[in-house]
Order: sequence, then structure tokens, then C-alpha cells
Amino acid sequence: MILQQLDVTPEELQRQTGWELKPEGLCKDDRCVPLPAGAGTDGLVDVTMVADRLGMPIVHDDRHGLWALGPEAGDRVLASAQLPPIVLSDVEGRPFDLASLRGEKVLIAAWASW
Amino acid sequence: MALPVWQQLRTELHPRGLEIVTVALDLEVDSARSWIERSGADHPQLVDTAHRLDELLGIVNVPTALWVDENGMIVRPPHTAAVERYDFSKLKTPEGLPDDLDAHIRDMLEQVKRIPRFDADHYVDALRDWVEHGAASRYALTPDEVVRGSAPRSPAVAEAAAEFELGQHLHHAGHVESARAHFRAAHRLQPENWTYKRNAWELVSPGIQGPTDFYDGDWLSDIKAAGPEHYYARPDF
Repeated sequence: MILQQLDVTPEELQRQTGWELKPEGLCKDDRCVPLPAGAGTDGLVDVTMVADRLGMPIVHDDRHGLWALGPEAGDRVLASAQLPPIVLSDVEGRPFDLASLRGEKVLIAAWASW
Repeated sequence: MALPVWQQLRTELHPRGLEIVTVALDLEVDSARSWIERSGADHPQLVDTAHRLDELLGIVNVPTALWVDENGMIVRPPHTAAVERYDFSKLKTPEGLPDDLDAHIRDMLEQVKRIPRFDADHYVDALRDWVEHGAASRYALTPDEVVRGSAPRSPAVAEAAAEFELGQHLHHAGHVESARAHFRAAHRLQPENWTYKRNAWELVSPGIQGPTDFYDGDWLSDIKAAGPEHYYARPDF
């Protein structure tokens, strides 16, 4: 996720990464990872602590004052077989939520013009 | 370009419960637009300008597909999706090119001819089998098999995703030069990701993806280094 500062609201963190702030820590699916005290004060979560606990990289662009928080490193890209939430747009910019296809079998085919 | 083949399969298999969604891994929507508009497809055709599918699903090259069942469970993690029948043996360089470009393209075509081709008929038969039999199909994997069969995500791969995300964000904000530094970092961190590399190369060397001052690699050098036999992961069917 792209960041302009290294703290973020819990709502934004969840929307972008799927990790939800709960009293027991950060939770996603059936996993919860405790956060150190002070990681979530004043309604904001300290992204560097989140990154440290979850094994996520943070990269920086000095010139534009931006950071990107990457996905959690670990064993495999998929932590579960559940298709993660994915919303992409068509060529007209209309968003399409892949979850709207529940009830059908779906083949997702990646291609490119290049 | 496999879009017409996906549409044919969609026409055949949609009445039996399969939807097809094509996703262009193109930084620029306009690069994909004419292909999409000409395809005449009646299934969703999306564009992933940020390469979210690389980060979320572990895609590193195209064509790649995954299968998802009625409950949103992946039953085949991303795999090389060979649905087109090519005859690369007859590939020729265009007439009238300058000598150095002609030599470069000849060299590229020699590599292309050495990229292994997978059995399109077998792939499509496997797909039909899954559409008909669902979880009972021998091609549908269990959740554990799907997770284990998904791509490894080392710290370097995770960092490459972050660098590419920052790069594409800056690119789309008009900071094209700043973006390149992050694309270069993504290439260095995950050299096996051809989508990160080819998208960036295409922007500075359209069509050829040749050597430039902007990037350390280029298509010809990188495929020679990796070995054309490794360009596509062999689908495990």
C-alpha cells in the first residue's frame, strides 16, 4: 500500500492489506499477531511496527516523500486457498469485483499487450 | 494474443457454468485497449495497471491462469495457461530492417523458438473436465495443495512487490524518471518476474525491449541468462 506518512488508520490498513486491528492484535482470516504496546494509539497504527511484526517490507521514495508497504514475506504467496479480495477496472475505468462471480466457476487469465 | 481463444472457450463453457475473466497486466490502459476492443469478448475484461495480481497471487509471466470454484476457493493456483497453438518455427524477421536491428531481432527469434511449448489440447481438456466434474475432477486441487502450489514469497519477492507498487504509483502520477529507480529495484529483487521487467522495458524500447540506459537488463540478454527453457513454468497437469 502507498503511504504518505508512516502511520495509518486501522480502517485504511484493513482496506489495503486485509489485516484488521483487534484487541488481540492484527488479524486476518484465522491468524492473529499481537502488536507491541503503543503501536496503535491516537486512532492510528504505526506502520513500521506492523511491518516488523508481519514481515512486510517498507520501501521509500525520498524525492516524493512516499512509502510502499509490501506484502508479508514468508512461505508462499497464498496463505489460504480463498481468492483474496480483488477489484480491478475495465478499459472505461469501471470497477469490477471478482467476488461478484461467486456461484460460478471462474478462470482468471492474465495476459499483456507487450 | 490469446484473447480470441479465451472467448471461444467462454462460448463453449459458459453454458456449463464457467465464467472467464481476462486481466491485462499492462501499466497503461491504452496499451491493452485496442486488443480488448477488437476481441469482441462478452466476458469481463479487466486491466491491472498496478500488477496487483503479481503481489496477491504470485503471477510472474503471461499467459497465466488460475481456477476458482463457485465458493471463491482457488482450485488451481496460477499456472502457465497454454491455450494457443503457435508455429514459431516459421517466424521470420521483417524485410528491410537496418543491419544491427535485423541481427538483434534474429537473435530474439532464435530464443523465442527455444521457449518450450506446452500442450494446449491437454490444458483445454483438463479445464473441460473441471467444469464438468468440479471438486471430483482430478485437476481440482485441495486447499492445502493450492497453498503449497502457489509461488514462494521470499523477503526479496515481497520487497519487489513494494518497489513495483511505488514505481507504478509514481509512473501514473507522471514521475516517470523517479518510477524507473523503483522498477529497477523490483527487477533486481525478483529477476524471475517477467511482467515487472517487460512492462518497464516496453515503455523505453517498444516492441524490441532492447538494451537502454534506463535498465540493467533487456529481453534478449535476460532470456539468454535465464535460459529460454525456463521462460515459462511448466504447468503441472
